[in-house]
Amino acid sequence: MRVAVIGAGVIGLSTAQSIYQQYHSIASPLTIEVYADRFTPLTTSDGAAGFWQPYLYDNGKIQETKWNKETFDYLLSCLSSPESVKMGVFLQSGYNLFTEPVPDPSFKDTVLGFRQLTERELQMFPGYNYGWFNTALMVEGKTYLPWLMDWLQKRGVKFYQRKIDSFKELAETGADLIINCTGVRSGELQPDLELKPGRGQIVKVDAPWLKHWILTHDRYTESYNSPYIIPGSRLVTVGGVFQVGNWSEQCNSTDHKKIWENACELEPSLKHARIVEDWAGLRPVRSKVRLERETIQCGPTAIEVIHNYGHGGFGLTIHRGCAQEAARLFGEIVEQKGKGPKARL
Amino acid sequence: MKSVRVVVVGAGVIGFSTAVCIAEALPFCSVTLLAEKLSPDTTSDGAAGILFAAQFPDIPLDRQRRWFKDSFDHLLAIAQSSHSPDAGVMLSSGCQIFKEVPATKKPFWSEFVIGFRLMTDRELKRFPDHKYGQAFTTIKCECSTYLPWLEKRFRKTGGQVEQRKVNSLQELSNGYDIIVNCSGLGSITLVGDTEVYPVRGQVLKVEAPWLQHFIRDGDGTTYIYPGIHSVTIGGTKQEGDWRLQVDDGDTKSILERCSRLEPSIGKAKVASEWVGLRPSRRNLRLEREMMQLQGRRVPVVHNYGHGAWGVTLSWGTALDALGLVRQCLHEMPLRAKL
Repeated sequence: MRVAVIGAGVIGLSTAQSIYQQYHSIASPLTIEVYADRFTPLTTSDGAAGFWQPYLYDNGKIQETKWNKETFDYLLSCLSSPESVKMGVFLQSGYNLFTEPVPDPSFKDTVLGFRQLTERELQMFPGYNYGWFNTALMVEGKTYLPWLMDWLQKRGVKFYQRKIDSFKELAETGADLIINCTGVRSGELQPDLELKPGRGQIVKVDAPWLKHWILTHDRYTESYNSPYIIPGSRLVTVGGVFQVGNWSEQCNSTDHKKIWENACELEPSLKHARIVEDWAGLRPVRSKVRLERETIQCGPTAIEVIHNYGHGGFGLTIHRGCAQEAARLFGEIVEQKGKGPKARL
Repeated sequence: MKSVRVVVVGAGVIGFSTAVCIAEALPFCSVTLLAEKLSPDTTSDGAAGILFAAQFPDIPLDRQRRWFKDSFDHLLAIAQSSHSPDAGVMLSSGCQIFKEVPATKKPFWSEFVIGFRLMTDRELKRFPDHKYGQAFTTIKCECSTYLPWLEKRFRKTGGQVEQRKVNSLQELSNGYDIIVNCSGLGSITLVGDTEVYPVRGQVLKVEAPWLQHFIRDGDGTTYIYPGIHSVTIGGTKQEGDWRLQVDDGDTKSILERCSRLEPSIGKAKVASEWVGLRPSRRNLRLEREMMQLQGRRVPVVHNYGHGAWGVTLSWGTALDALGLVRQCLHEMPLRAKL
């Protein structure tokens, strides 16, 4: 079977990995090719802080909650492996802050040691009256993506730097199946009115004395439009912008000023932090993740496509669960095509 | 005009904390700090500086609680302020884990650290050799940064620092009206205190920037303390051992024990090794005494014997020592205060 994956962000690479892990001996010979115009460190996944936390409430999207949990449990198990440092995976604790009491989040039993904040902790954050403390995971894109590429390359997966303009283009090269992990630009391959960019901008600073992430929440705005400070293994990511419909990948000085001022108010010691870089990225926002099969007619032939895009601001958080589900859909297709072990009876 | 001459002996975290407390609270005192060793060569410099206390057996619990609380609150305010990186003081979350359920489930300091709670079973899963744990947020105070920061504060008040070994208190009786002894292990020879003894500790500093939490084994001998620029791992507790050289056997043992707690330590580069001698005593000595020196009666305030808890108790004991200095001033003949 020849599989073409479009997109080399965390979704594309992890989907390729799951398919390989589950089917390389079953759907043998299995050729996997990854096509993308941008590779690490230039993908959306690379710019993200790499903090595992879903949106606070899933609003009935229980599949997504399941995939988030699967990802957390998977990454947690990776911690004890000798690969953990090379994967860019590590634990970090921190604070979610609110101005008034809110219901517990969908992820409260998934993360470690979830609890309400004590009075003393709230005193550390003037202006906030309620919050949570828990231990979560970090998975840093700039480290995780190269690790994934290396993992895939070692197993014969080929990479092609090329912008794919249509599914037809790949079908004509002889691919049996396409995995569409094109994130925010999926609309260029197939119009999707539900998919929109959720522009984010961040400032990366050198502040190694900070060891906790701090996320603030404002009930009047979406997640991530309120200040957040997320220390990484080398630099601290400071942000708080979520502009739906804005396609600009340029950094904006008004946004920078707002982000920086808010963050310094939240964490006064940032005044001494050296600013290293600014970055803007487009979260692939959608009402819900599109993870499903579709048969696409390309002239006389039909090609199977598995869509796996629209992960908004929680791509790293949900990636493994989605990759495993995409692999399951792949398995269905393999069986239907008779290319699985049954075919060899 | 500064009319009372105070000298503080010792430039570790106790000496400087005490000197700053006195100089800032008593502007009519001129305060001089004398020490053989200054940062970065003091015992305090190598300590990880995690705030965490054990109990002295014979000191009233109330007093120890006050020492811990005062130190913690003082450093917490710095950690929360814009001074945090300049002072080398940061918040640190993590856990203390036990192989057997400890006798004291709620140690006295548990109400002064932040968010103290039992670890959940899922959290303990990471530590298969351990069956019980406490999670909390405390402070890390890195003396190689904190001491120079305290020195700046001290000098702002007009305080003087002199690098000089004091061989006996007799040397000081003519030049000073009150002596404050923060000489740690030096008290053995300086004031003839035979109850003071070293407890040797060796640590390694490793590069593991992905580690954000501290992990401490309840036995107090194995620990991992992520700091601002490196992670301090340790340790040893060798009573009566005066060796200041690094012991390769200890290095190997530390790496083994810490890697068992946190496997990724195996991937960390060792940047340096260090040995310090904890100035230990059955009970910390914080009291005043009148001494006869060169024919003069000179009040001496002792503040030493903090063992492994110098940073932890630094500000609280400094405040206590300040109180004792005030008492000395009260009782001094009027002539000296003019």
